[in-house]
Amino acid sequence: MITLDNIEKIYESDNGTVHALKGINLTVSQGEIFGIIGTSGAGKSTLIRCINMLECPTKGSVTVDGQELTTLSEKELREQRKKIGMIFQHFNLLSSRTVYQNIAFPLELAKRSKEEIHTEVMHLLTLVGLADKKDQYPAQLSGGQKQRVGIARALANHPKVLLCDEATSALDPQTTKSILELLKNINREFNLTIVLITHEMQVIKEICNQVAVIENGYIIEQGKVLDVFTQPKENTTKEFISSIISHNLPEFFADLSLSATSTPGSNLMLRLSFIGNSAEDPVISSIIRRFDIDASILHGNIDHIQSTPFGTLIVELSGEQSSLDETLRYLQTRDLGIEVIGYVTRHARITN
Amino acid sequence: MSQDMLALLIKSLWETTYMVAVSGMISAIIGIPLGIILITTNKGHILENTALNKVLGVIVNAARSTPFIILMVAIIPFTRLLVGTSIGTNAAIVPLSIAAIPFVARIVESALKEVDYGVIEAAQAMGASPREIITKVLLPEAMPGIILGLTLTIISLIGYSAMAGAIGGGGLGDLAIRYGYQRFRADIMLITVIILIAQVQIVQSTGDYVARRLNKK
Repeated sequence: MITLDNIEKIYESDNGTVHALKGINLTVSQGEIFGIIGTSGAGKSTLIRCINMLECPTKGSVTVDGQELTTLSEKELREQRKKIGMIFQHFNLLSSRTVYQNIAFPLELAKRSKEEIHTEVMHLLTLVGLADKKDQYPAQLSGGQKQRVGIARALANHPKVLLCDEATSALDPQTTKSILELLKNINREFNLTIVLITHEMQVIKEICNQVAVIENGYIIEQGKVLDVFTQPKENTTKEFISSIISHNLPEFFADLSLSATSTPGSNLMLRLSFIGNSAEDPVISSIIRRFDIDASILHGNIDHIQSTPFGTLIVELSGEQSSLDETLRYLQTRDLGIEVIGYVTRHARITN
Repeated sequence: MSQDMLALLIKSLWETTYMVAVSGMISAIIGIPLGIILITTNKGHILENTALNKVLGVIVNAARSTPFIILMVAIIPFTRLLVGTSIGTNAAIVPLSIAAIPFVARIVESALKEVDYGVIEAAQAMGASPREIITKVLLPEAMPGIILGLTLTIISLIGYSAMAGAIGGGGLGDLAIRYGYQRFRADIMLITVIILIAQVQIVQSTGDYVARRLNKK
């Protein structure tokens, strides 16, 4: 649906040149919700603006729905833009128009008749749940309601693609949730392709299928959300994910002295990660029953990435060295992620 | 006050109103598009053209920095060319308009500058042409500011129109000078001043009211 081929963007200004995008290749398939995450200044805003050519790439080509945009004339580009909806962090509604008139705006631009506009706007108002607000002005609405108007406006011309520029960054967590819910429903109902940029991993986790991490104008990591979340490769990615799922040891363990090899009387510390069905597997109770060991759960969480359960546990196993080795071998045959954190010697048993 | 005096007062009031209304209209008709060009040809705006922007900016500034009394005298040949005479109410409309056009242009420019660029970007993303952005986004969004600016223009024109009396333009200012000052008619002086104050008050209140009604922010 969307192909970005080797996109570069260089800004020339009086204070020198800024290389905002340094060769971005990206493919977004029909019906996908594609998230691009990055810190501010990473180039994500520029990138999403290249998709509808609000920013003209210095190099490279942009193809949306089989149409290359980079070679079009101004007029042809305007026609193509009508097939690409966009919503913004600060909503960008026309303050002089009512909710109804704001949603009607893109339809007016598309030269639709009054009757068509009326039918379409009323339908959209119901879709976003604002039918009772149609004659209000944006200033009278809450942030979430404004974004709903923005979404309705973006959908008015039945676009193939919806671009979301930090669409939830100005909203509180609850409103964010409801807006994301709405986007997800729209994606399902119309099989609409959505590209969103954000700095919040939560947003990616809630609704995206695919994620790309952008840093310094490069895409440093890209893949299915579940894969990137469970096996992040780059440090920046890990940092983003740690806001939701901690891959680091909790601070509580910082003053424990860990060693890579076992010493007599030391306990084995393991991190187990579960994805999908294995999250429901009663691993801990089964190892306790099978082997002569004790297990303490030191830290853990289970979360859902969309509908797939995903969790990590940090456990400390104590027992005879041979039992510990056997347990480890057993665990390795299970459908789990296992990481040996190290061996820890305790003077007293863990009491908490 | 005599019947004659009253007739003279009414005639002067009409002249002032006529001069201000016509020159206000002309300055709006030319000044508003000029203001639109000034903002949209800015760097990074929808019709970027920095050369045109600079040239217009210099012309507007030059016109604005000329004191009205000098402008009025300096353009007498031009006025004569346009209306056939350099004396009278119609002749006064020419310098009044020329003084007000750049004023309106700058005021419109600054009102349009207040429109959040994000809204323009949103319109661009929806496929709006520059023309549609101007007529459907910039002007409606900036309308309260433009109305207040035009109010200010009209009030300035009322003040300037008094000076136009110096070249035989007529109007209340002329009356105040000729009768109130030169013939020591304090009553005439007082009444013209009161009328001028009332005029300004009415214009300002009307402008405020309209701008407030249009402002949905």
